[in-house]
Formats: sequence, C-alpha cells, structure tokens
Amino acid sequence: MLAEASEESRVDGAVGRVVIVGGGTAGWLAACLIAARADPAAARPLEVALIESPDVPTIGVGEGTWPTMRRTLERIGLAEADFLLGCDASFKQGTRFDGWRTGRAGEAYHHPFVPPTDADPRDLVAAWNAAADGRPFADAVCPQPRACRLDLAPRQRAMPDYAGALNYGYHLDAGKFATLLAAHGASRLGVRHLRDHVVGVERAANGDVAAVRTRDRGAIAGDLFIDCTGHTALLIGAGFNVPFVDRSDALPNDRALAVQAPVAPGSPVASQTVATAHAAGWLWDIGLPTRRGVGCVYASAFMSDDQAADALRAYLRSTAPGTDFDRLTPRRLTFRSGHRERFWVGNCLAVGLSAGFLEPLEASAIVLIELSLDALLDDFPPTRAGMDVRAARFNELFRYRWDRIVEFLKLHYVLSARDEPYWRAHRAPDTVPARLRDLLALWQDRPPLRADLPRTDEVFPAASHQYVLYGMGGAAPGAGPVRAEGRGAVAALAEVERRGRALAAGLPTNRAYLDALRAERAPAALGLAR
Amino acid sequence: MTAHAILTTEAHRELRVRTDRNAALGDAVMTALVMPDEFRRAQNEYPILFRRTPGSDEFAALALFGFEPGENLFLENGRWDARYRPLAIDVQPFLIGRPASGAGDAQVHVDMASPRIGCDEGVRLFDETGRPTPFLERVAEQLGELDEAYRASGAFFAALRRHQLLEPLTLEVTLADGSTNRLVGFHVVDEERLRALDAAALGELHAQGHLMPLFMALASLANLAALIARKNRGTVGG
Repeated sequence: MLAEASEESRVDGAVGRVVIVGGGTAGWLAACLIAARADPAAARPLEVALIESPDVPTIGVGEGTWPTMRRTLERIGLAEADFLLGCDASFKQGTRFDGWRTGRAGEAYHHPFVPPTDADPRDLVAAWNAAADGRPFADAVCPQPRACRLDLAPRQRAMPDYAGALNYGYHLDAGKFATLLAAHGASRLGVRHLRDHVVGVERAANGDVAAVRTRDRGAIAGDLFIDCTGHTALLIGAGFNVPFVDRSDALPNDRALAVQAPVAPGSPVASQTVATAHAAGWLWDIGLPTRRGVGCVYASAFMSDDQAADALRAYLRSTAPGTDFDRLTPRRLTFRSGHRERFWVGNCLAVGLSAGFLEPLEASAIVLIELSLDALLDDFPPTRAGMDVRAARFNELFRYRWDRIVEFLKLHYVLSARDEPYWRAHRAPDTVPARLRDLLALWQDRPPLRADLPRTDEVFPAASHQYVLYGMGGAAPGAGPVRAEGRGAVAALAEVERRGRALAAGLPTNRAYLDALRAERAPAALGLAR
Repeated sequence: MTAHAILTTEAHRELRVRTDRNAALGDAVMTALVMPDEFRRAQNEYPILFRRTPGSDEFAALALFGFEPGENLFLENGRWDARYRPLAIDVQPFLIGRPASGAGDAQVHVDMASPRIGCDEGVRLFDETGRPTPFLERVAEQLGELDEAYRASGAFFAALRRHQLLEPLTLEVTLADGSTNRLVGFHVVDEERLRALDAAALGELHAQGHLMPLFMALASLANLAALIARKNRGTVGG
C-alpha cells in the first residue's frame, strides 16, 4: 500500500529525490543542510544524493566565512571543536583594510562583524566626530577592533558551542572542510555519495532535468537538482543556457595568484582577514593556526602576471620575513565577476560558483551558498507544481542580493583617493551602479541608514556601509534640521570603551585557544591514565 | 605552598588568572570565611555558621558549601552555582599585603603558586598599555572591601560573646541513600537568647550595626535544607 501511495505521489510530482551535482564546498553544504533539515517522519522522506566527479578538482579558495556559518554548522549537527580541529580553522571577526585610502603606510580600518553600538547612526557619527580623539570610526563604536588588534579569540572555551562574546565566523582550509562535510553527510546524515562523472543530462518533456547520465552508473533520476558544478555550470549554464551577467564593468579584477605560506609554531593567529590594497588590486591574508593563505587579486588590464607575482613577493617579504617565496607554489586563478541571470530554472537550482562569482573582497562566496540553501529550505517545494512561483521569488531575491553585493564591493573602491590608473578607472562615474551613486549623494548629508537597505535579510546592512564609508575617510555630516531620537550616543561610546577593556582582559588569544583545544584532543601522552 | 608577590605592572603585565571554578583550582572547600558585612548578600545562598578559630577563643563566621571536608556542592561543570561568593574565596589568588614596616597603604599581592596562575586562557590583569583591566580594578575593590570588613568584624564577634548569642549546633543529616552526615564543631545564633534581649541591649546592638547581620545569620539557616537537597541530588543516581 505504502509503495503504491508513494508511486502515485511521484506521478503527482512530489519532490522526494534531491540530486546534487558537484562535491566542493557548495555541494557538500547543500547535501548536509538539506539532509539535516529533512523530516524523517515525512510521508515521503527526502533522499539526498551527491554525485562527485573523481576527475574534477575543487577550487578550494573560499577560506573565509561569515557568522552565518555557526548557524549552518549547528544545523548540520557538527560540534564546534570537531569543526575547528578538522578544518584547521580559526576565528574570523571581520576584515581589516590596509592602504585603501591613499596607500600610505600604517593606514588601516576595520569592518568588524559586530555592528556599531545601538544608537541612532546620526547621533553616533556626530558623537564620534565630536570626540575628535583621532580614533577610527569602527574603534569608537565597536569593541571588536580592539580585540582584533590583540589577536584575541571571540569566545572562551568554556562557552557553549557556537556562542561568542563577540560575533564571529571562521577562516578554514576549504579542502579539509569539504572532506569533513562529506564524511559527516555520508555517515551521519544519510547522504548517498556517488563518485562518478556526469557525462550528460536527460531532459523531461517540460524541459526539466529528468536525470543526469553518469559514466559508471547510468542515469540518476531526481525531482530537484542542485547544480554545484562550479564554473562549469553543467546544468544551469550548459543545460539551461541561462545567460551570465558580466559585472566586470564595476568590478574589473579578473586574476588571482594564491600561495600558502608556512607559519611558526606558537605564532599569533590573526583575528581578521587582512585586505591590503596595491597598485592594481589588493592582497588577501588569511591566518590559520597551521598556515597563512595569501593571494594577490588584480585586474589583468592594469597589471601583468609578473607584476602581480612581484606584489605578492613584496607583501610576503614585509609581513613574513624569512619566507622563501621561490619555494612556494603559487596557483594562478582566472575569473570574471558576474552571475547568472536566473539561478533557479525548472527543477534546477544553481548554488555556489555555478550561480556566480564576485571578487572575494568581502568573502561573499560561502555566505551566498548558505543563503541560497536557507531560502530553498525555508520554503521547500513539496511538489513540482509548487516550484515555479518559488523559483521566481528566489530569482528576484538573489538578483537583488547579487546587485547589492556588487554595489557594496564597489563602495570600497570609489571612496579611495589612490592615484594609480587602476584606482582612477575604478572611480569613473560610468562604472558606478546608479543606486550606489544615489546613496553616495545621500551620505553627504547623513550616515547610511536602515532605510537605504530596507530588506529584512540584507547581506550587507547599513552598519557595513557605515564601517566602509567612515573607514575610508568619509566626513561626518553636520547636524540636520530634525533631531534624531534615542539614547545618548556619548554614553553609548563610553560603554563601548568599557566593554572593549573587559573583553580585552577576558578573552584568550586565538593561538592560546586553538593550541589548548588541540592539546586537549591529543591522545594522552606518556601513558597517563585519564 | 604559597609564593606571595606584590602585584606590579612590570612583573605581571602579561599575567592571566583563571576565573573558572573547579576542584583543581582549589574551589573544593567545605566552607569559606564570610564577613558580617557580607551576611546580607550571602544569606540567601548559604547557611552561615560560626566556629571557634583553632587555638583561640575567637569566633569566625563561615559560609557552608558541603557536609564533609573537600566537598563543595555548588561546583558544577566549571562554574559555581550561586549568585554570590564570599569575598575571601572570590578574591583568590589575590591577597592584601602591607609593607614590612607595617605602615603605609595596603597592596595587592598575588599567590604565584596558585593553580589559577599561568594559563593562557585566563583573564588579564593589565592591558597592553599597562593599565589595570576592569577585572583587576574589581579585585582591588573587593580586597579593599574585605580588608575593611575584616577590621570591622572584631566588634561584631565581641558583641556576640558579650551577650552569649551563640549556641553549639548539632546536625545529623540523613540522606536519601540512607547514609548519615554529622556536622560538628559549629555554632549558630541562639534564637531564644536573641529574643530575650531587653530593649537597651537591642538598642545598643542596633546602634553598632550588629543587629541586622544577626538576623541575616539566623535567616541563612533556611539554606540548610537546600544544601541537603543538593547533596541528595549528587548521591541519588549519581
């Protein structure tokens, strides 16, 4: 009887079989999140299968996450210590931008994950400006930059998993992360892991993907397909021919040169990603307890590959003296900032690089994977008939999000006063999206406000725009004719100072935290009884 | 073993002190000194009992955490399950020191042999500029308060003796598992004698600020039942 009923519902278009094509960070996050949130008591529990090609290496460069990752890992059911140790992960509390304003030495500002203290932004900016004590905006309105400067962890080990005294995400080894998720997904969450190469797509009469053809297993049928095939975009691109929207007019960087530099035992582990501007792009620096990932992002129209290698070498020489650059093996990556015109077509949803890629300045890659899956799972289509309306909504929401991220990334460049041709070209008015131009006009006479970014789940809220605007030297506007409401901003700033002092005293360094965690999990040495 | 040192910015700039609470850090104690000035804050957490200081006629007040030496029923998973801890235990590993001459201001000393010292995950005493952290500022306040309360306590215990307001406590606790714990050597406030004091005596105690702590100590005995319940939670099925 049961089998009959389920056969009947399949005819009705019930969504029961989810097939994920591709096994990188996107594929395994998709598999784990869908499997973890699937209801085992459902009339027809979801079956989740992931097809991973043994031939295709994963890109594995996205090594910074957002605070959203804590919620994701908790949903998947991973213990935080297992994750930290399994991925050589450390805590990320934001990004520090060095040399973006003029390129002068010592110039830096923070974009921390903790938003400015709770007061009307107009009052807060005015109080910061009035204090005139030379403190950068982020340092005055948020206790996190201080903790970052001291290389402190955002939490103590005694705290419950995923809780923090300060908001945080992670830096991680993307290769190890995919491996950890794969093991967890297959062993704990019941994901079927198929190591096979997809050689073709079988279409249904209505245009949907009916099945993917594999080299060894033949056709694998499904009701919902998730395209996690990276730049190949096997389903959304090659299959559905959804056009790619090129955003390189606003974001011209198109190359990266990445290395992994060794770190000395016991050396400090940075609390934030460091993004250092150079003549034609910027360098990322991501500290793990075991290594540093450093890369040079640049625009090939303004910088040759050799010049980029020189910039990378110079950066390593100044930040890691003693590193033998010639013994490192840089990887060259080519990309184009842009995204698909639509992400969900028929019964196929593109997640990860197949949906698009923007230069990694604000680590938007992994968070977009998480947000895509949250949107899918928060309103999961039980039947094929329920898909088209959801797909249209999804496409509208994510087109909005990609646009907003492009604008936020562009904000980092247009405020610069650097004089190199690359930077001047970045500021050319016709490369600045219209909505950003309007906002920049508004921010002449008032700070970024919630009304500027009105959706409930903005990827970058007004707070992020405030950090970048004032970090880049944006002038505090004068008082307007209408008073702001709310509590006193001066008292709020004093409270930030108190909280910063208390946190700086009570938090361990990243190195102390991670080494203690490792020592605790190490097998008992010297045969000590436990 | 102890190794007391005067706390200085130069010597202890990078020092971190553990503030979690567990047996390995010296928190597995049955009692801790509690000052009369603290009775009000301690009385809704712990029974407050009195005991003669060994080798002297003087009494001291103690907050009770367990029923046998080394037992602290408030310790749970690295934390101390109460809203208030007596200053004498809360300030550890810090102490009040005075210059050898005996004159001059009290100083903050630290017991460098304490297991709370020398861990990378503790709380810093000085920030990166050498300024005392809010944690150390609080410790210094607590030490000052403890010092003052200790100096004031002599008058309180003298008044107890003058009015003979203590009586021995004999408590036999039978636990849910049938075992018996005897609490011996402690005294409590003699409620009948307190009631029998005349107006002049009460007026004098009140004027000196001793009356409130007396009643607080009396009220604190209601916590004995809760402490026995804690003990039973640990023995039954544990």
